[in-house]
Amino acid sequence: MDRLTRTWALLIGLTLATTALAAWDGRLAVPGLMLLAWAKARGILAGFLHLRNAPGWLAAFTLPLALWLAAIAALMAIR
Amino acid sequence: MRVDDLPGELILWILILSEVLVFMAGVSAMVINGALDPQSFAAAQAQLDGRMAALNTVVLVTSGLFAARAERAAATGNRRAARIALVLAAAGGLGFLTLKGVEYARDLHAGLGIDSHPFFTFYYLLTGFHAAHVIAGVAVLALVAIRARPESVQAGAMFWHMVDLVWVLILPPVYLIWGTGWTG
Repeated sequence: MDRLTRTWALLIGLTLATTALAAWDGRLAVPGLMLLAWAKARGILAGFLHLRNAPGWLAAFTLPLALWLAAIAALMAIR
Repeated sequence: MRVDDLPGELILWILILSEVLVFMAGVSAMVINGALDPQSFAAAQAQLDGRMAALNTVVLVTSGLFAARAERAAATGNRRAARIALVLAAAGGLGFLTLKGVEYARDLHAGLGIDSHPFFTFYYLLTGFHAAHVIAGVAVLALVAIRARPESVQAGAMFWHMVDLVWVLILPPVYLIWGTGWTG
Protein backbone atom coordinates (compact mmCIF):
# COMPACT_ATOMS: atom_id res chain seq x y z
CA MET A 1 0.00 0.00 0.00
CA ASP A 2 1.55 3.32 -1.06
CA ARG A 3 1.58 6.48 1.06
CA LEU A 4 -1.42 8.10 -0.66
CA THR A 5 -3.54 4.99 -0.15
CA ARG A 6 -2.44 4.82 3.50
CA THR A 7 -3.56 8.44 3.94
CA TRP A 8 -6.93 7.61 2.35
CA ALA A 9 -7.34 4.51 4.56
CA LEU A 10 -6.53 6.60 7.64
CA LEU A 11 -9.14 9.19 6.66
CA ILE A 12 -11.79 6.53 6.03
CA GLY A 13 -10.98 4.94 9.41
CA LEU A 14 -11.27 8.31 11.16
CA THR A 15 -14.60 8.94 9.39
CA LEU A 16 -15.95 5.60 10.61
CA ALA A 17 -14.73 6.41 14.13
CA THR A 18 -16.49 9.79 13.90
CA THR A 19 -19.74 8.07 12.89
CA ALA A 20 -19.46 5.65 15.81
CA LEU A 21 -18.61 8.36 18.35
CA ALA A 22 -21.41 10.65 17.16
CA ALA A 23 -23.94 8.04 18.24
CA TRP A 24 -22.42 7.90 21.70
CA ASP A 25 -24.17 9.99 24.34
CA GLY A 26 -21.22 10.54 26.65
CA ARG A 27 -19.37 13.51 28.10
CA LEU A 28 -16.25 12.83 26.08
CA ALA A 29 -18.11 12.80 22.76
CA VAL A 30 -17.47 16.44 21.83
CA PRO A 31 -13.73 16.47 22.62
CA GLY A 32 -13.45 13.11 20.87
CA LEU A 33 -15.22 14.40 17.77
CA MET A 34 -12.97 17.48 17.74
CA LEU A 35 -9.88 15.30 18.10
CA LEU A 36 -11.04 13.15 15.18
CA ALA A 37 -11.71 16.28 13.07
CA TRP A 38 -8.20 17.51 13.86
CA ALA A 39 -6.71 14.11 12.95
CA LYS A 40 -8.55 14.15 9.61
CA ALA A 41 -7.37 17.70 8.90
CA ARG A 42 -3.81 16.70 9.78
CA GLY A 43 -4.07 13.67 7.50
CA ILE A 44 -5.16 15.83 4.56
CA LEU A 45 -2.49 18.47 5.20
CA ALA A 46 0.31 15.95 5.74
CA GLY A 47 -0.61 13.27 3.21
CA PHE A 48 -2.52 14.95 0.38
CA LEU A 49 -1.10 18.47 0.60
CA HIS A 50 2.40 17.11 1.29
CA LEU A 51 3.16 19.25 4.36
CA ARG A 52 4.77 16.12 5.82
CA ASN A 53 7.76 17.05 3.67
CA ALA A 54 7.80 20.77 4.62
CA PRO A 55 9.65 21.16 7.93
CA GLY A 56 7.68 23.21 10.45
CA TRP A 57 4.75 24.00 8.17
CA LEU A 58 2.63 21.03 9.22
CA ALA A 59 2.75 22.19 12.85
CA ALA A 60 2.15 25.80 11.74
CA PHE A 61 -1.18 24.69 10.29
CA THR A 62 -2.24 21.99 12.73
CA LEU A 63 -1.43 23.77 16.00
CA PRO A 64 -3.83 26.71 15.42
CA LEU A 65 -6.46 24.21 14.24
CA ALA A 66 -5.98 22.21 17.44
CA LEU A 67 -6.39 25.34 19.58
CA TRP A 68 -9.52 26.38 17.70
CA LEU A 69 -11.13 22.94 17.95
CA ALA A 70 -10.19 22.76 21.64
CA ALA A 71 -11.82 26.17 22.17
CA ILE A 72 -15.05 24.87 20.60
CA ALA A 73 -14.96 21.80 22.85
CA ALA A 74 -14.33 24.03 25.89
CA LEU A 75 -17.23 26.31 24.96
CA MET A 76 -19.50 23.29 24.62
CA ALA A 77 -18.39 22.13 28.07
CA ILE A 78 -19.07 25.37 29.94
CA ARG A 79 -22.37 26.39 28.34
CA MET B 1 10.80 26.62 8.21
CA ARG B 2 11.07 28.56 4.96
CA VAL B 3 8.40 29.67 2.51
CA ASP B 4 10.33 27.82 -0.20
CA ASP B 5 9.69 24.57 1.67
CA LEU B 6 5.96 24.76 0.92
CA PRO B 7 4.93 22.41 -1.90
CA GLY B 8 3.24 24.10 -4.87
CA GLU B 9 2.60 27.78 -5.49
CA LEU B 10 2.63 30.18 -2.53
CA ILE B 11 -0.53 31.90 -3.79
CA LEU B 12 -2.41 28.63 -3.41
CA TRP B 13 -1.35 28.37 0.22
CA ILE B 14 -2.55 31.93 0.77
CA LEU B 15 -5.87 30.90 -0.82
CA ILE B 16 -6.10 27.76 1.34
CA LEU B 17 -5.31 29.69 4.51
CA SER B 18 -7.79 32.47 3.76
CA GLU B 19 -10.58 30.04 2.85
CA VAL B 20 -10.03 27.97 6.00
CA LEU B 21 -10.07 31.16 8.10
CA VAL B 22 -13.37 32.28 6.53
CA PHE B 23 -15.00 28.95 7.37
CA MET B 24 -13.48 28.99 10.87
CA ALA B 25 -15.05 32.42 11.43
CA GLY B 26 -18.45 31.14 10.26
CA VAL B 27 -18.25 28.04 12.45
CA SER B 28 -17.13 30.14 15.42
CA ALA B 29 -20.16 32.41 15.00
CA MET B 30 -22.40 29.33 14.84
CA VAL B 31 -20.91 27.78 17.98
CA ILE B 32 -21.18 31.02 19.97
CA ASN B 33 -24.82 31.43 18.90
CA GLY B 34 -25.53 27.80 19.73
CA ALA B 35 -23.87 28.02 23.14
CA LEU B 36 -26.45 30.67 24.05
CA ASP B 37 -29.32 28.35 23.13
CA PRO B 38 -27.98 24.76 23.16
CA GLN B 39 -31.29 22.88 23.61
CA SER B 40 -32.83 24.59 20.63
CA PHE B 41 -29.71 23.99 18.49
CA ALA B 42 -29.72 20.31 19.53
CA ALA B 43 -33.37 19.96 18.56
CA ALA B 44 -32.68 21.60 15.19
CA GLN B 45 -29.58 19.51 14.49
CA ALA B 46 -31.48 16.31 15.35
CA GLN B 47 -33.58 16.88 12.23
CA LEU B 48 -30.54 16.48 9.96
CA ASP B 49 -29.45 13.11 8.59
CA GLY B 50 -25.86 12.64 9.77
CA ARG B 51 -25.53 9.45 7.70
CA MET B 52 -25.67 11.52 4.51
CA ALA B 53 -22.85 13.72 5.82
CA ALA B 54 -20.76 10.66 6.73
CA LEU B 55 -21.32 9.18 3.28
CA ASN B 56 -20.35 12.48 1.70
CA THR B 57 -17.13 12.51 3.75
CA VAL B 58 -16.23 9.09 2.32
CA VAL B 59 -17.04 10.34 -1.20
CA LEU B 60 -14.97 13.51 -0.80
CA VAL B 61 -11.98 11.79 0.82
CA THR B 62 -11.95 9.16 -1.92
CA SER B 63 -12.17 11.91 -4.51
CA GLY B 64 -9.18 13.53 -2.78
CA LEU B 65 -7.21 10.30 -3.23
CA PHE B 66 -7.85 10.45 -7.00
CA ALA B 67 -6.78 14.10 -7.10
CA ALA B 68 -3.55 13.22 -5.28
CA ARG B 69 -2.94 10.34 -7.71
CA ALA B 70 -3.53 12.71 -10.64
CA GLU B 71 -0.91 15.06 -9.23
CA ARG B 72 1.61 12.23 -8.91
CA ALA B 73 0.86 10.88 -12.40
CA ALA B 74 1.24 14.34 -13.96
CA ALA B 75 4.53 14.88 -12.13
CA THR B 76 5.92 11.69 -13.67
CA GLY B 77 4.73 12.70 -17.15
CA ASN B 78 1.88 10.20 -17.34
CA ARG B 79 -0.80 12.56 -18.66
CA ARG B 80 -3.29 9.83 -19.53
CA ALA B 81 -3.28 8.47 -15.98
CA ALA B 82 -3.50 12.02 -14.64
CA ARG B 83 -6.56 12.74 -16.81
CA ILE B 84 -8.31 9.55 -15.74
CA ALA B 85 -7.65 10.31 -12.07
CA LEU B 86 -8.85 13.92 -12.50
CA VAL B 87 -12.07 12.70 -14.12
CA LEU B 88 -12.61 10.28 -11.22
CA ALA B 89 -11.92 13.06 -8.70
CA ALA B 90 -14.40 15.36 -10.46
CA ALA B 91 -16.95 12.53 -10.55
CA GLY B 92 -16.55 12.27 -6.79
CA GLY B 93 -17.31 15.97 -6.55
CA LEU B 94 -20.45 15.51 -8.63
CA GLY B 95 -21.43 12.60 -6.39
CA PHE B 96 -20.96 14.82 -3.35
CA LEU B 97 -23.17 17.51 -4.91
CA THR B 98 -25.84 14.96 -5.81
CA LEU B 99 -25.99 13.67 -2.23
CA LYS B 100 -26.02 17.23 -0.91
CA GLY B 101 -28.85 18.08 -3.29
CA VAL B 102 -30.86 15.08 -2.05
CA GLU B 103 -30.19 16.18 1.52
CA TYR B 104 -31.28 19.78 0.82
CA ALA B 105 -34.42 18.54 -0.95
CA ARG B 106 -35.34 16.38 2.06
CA ASP B 107 -34.66 19.26 4.46
CA LEU B 108 -36.76 21.70 2.47
CA HIS B 109 -39.54 19.12 2.03
CA ALA B 110 -39.59 18.78 5.83
CA GLY B 111 -40.04 22.55 6.12
CA LEU B 112 -36.46 23.22 7.24
CA GLY B 113 -35.67 26.44 5.39
CA ILE B 114 -32.86 28.93 5.89
CA ASP B 115 -35.07 31.07 8.15
CA SER B 116 -36.63 28.19 10.12
CA HIS B 117 -34.13 28.55 12.97
CA PRO B 118 -30.73 30.23 13.48
CA PHE B 119 -29.15 26.77 13.34
CA PHE B 120 -30.49 26.28 9.81
CA THR B 121 -29.29 29.71 8.75
CA PHE B 122 -25.74 28.66 9.66
CA TYR B 123 -26.33 25.17 8.22
CA TYR B 124 -27.34 26.47 4.79
CA LEU B 125 -24.73 29.24 4.71
CA LEU B 126 -21.80 27.01 5.72
CA THR B 127 -22.72 23.94 3.66
CA GLY B 128 -23.97 26.05 0.75
CA PHE B 129 -20.74 28.08 0.62
CA HIS B 130 -18.80 24.83 0.80
CA ALA B 131 -20.92 23.32 -2.01
CA ALA B 132 -20.10 26.40 -4.11
CA HIS B 133 -16.42 25.57 -3.60
CA VAL B 134 -17.11 21.97 -4.66
CA ILE B 135 -18.72 23.24 -7.88
CA ALA B 136 -15.70 25.49 -8.49
CA GLY B 137 -13.38 22.58 -7.69
CA VAL B 138 -15.08 20.26 -10.19
CA ALA B 139 -14.70 22.96 -12.85
CA VAL B 140 -11.02 23.44 -11.95
CA LEU B 141 -10.34 19.69 -12.10
CA ALA B 142 -12.04 19.49 -15.51
CA LEU B 143 -10.03 22.46 -16.81
CA VAL B 144 -6.65 21.18 -15.68
CA ALA B 145 -7.47 17.75 -17.15
CA ILE B 146 -7.48 19.22 -20.66
CA ARG B 147 -3.71 19.67 -20.87
CA ALA B 148 -2.75 17.80 -17.69
CA ARG B 149 0.45 19.81 -17.15
CA PRO B 150 2.18 19.03 -13.84
CA GLU B 151 1.96 22.55 -12.39
CA SER B 152 -1.70 23.05 -13.23
CA VAL B 153 -2.69 19.57 -12.06
CA GLN B 154 -0.90 20.22 -8.78
CA ALA B 155 -2.76 23.53 -8.40
CA GLY B 156 -6.10 21.86 -9.14
CA ALA B 157 -5.38 19.05 -6.68
CA MET B 158 -4.40 21.56 -3.97
CA PHE B 159 -7.68 23.43 -4.45
CA TRP B 160 -9.54 20.12 -4.20
CA HIS B 161 -7.76 19.13 -0.99
CA MET B 162 -8.69 22.53 0.46
CA VAL B 163 -12.36 21.69 -0.23
CA ASP B 164 -11.81 18.36 1.54
CA LEU B 165 -10.05 20.05 4.49
CA VAL B 166 -12.86 22.57 4.99
CA TRP B 167 -15.47 19.79 4.94
CA VAL B 168 -13.87 17.76 7.75
CA LEU B 169 -13.64 20.94 9.85
CA ILE B 170 -17.25 22.08 9.42
CA LEU B 171 -18.72 18.57 9.77
CA PRO B 172 -18.78 18.27 13.62
CA PRO B 173 -20.28 21.70 14.41
CA VAL B 174 -22.91 21.42 11.67
CA TYR B 175 -23.90 17.76 12.01
CA LEU B 176 -22.66 16.24 15.24
CA ILE B 177 -21.86 18.12 18.42
CA TRP B 178 -25.19 19.57 19.53
CA GLY B 179 -26.90 16.25 20.14
CA THR B 180 -24.19 14.64 22.27
CA GLY B 181 -24.26 14.05 25.99
CA TRP B 182 -23.15 17.61 26.70
CA THR B 183 -26.30 19.12 25.33
CA GLY B 184 -28.79 20.25 27.87
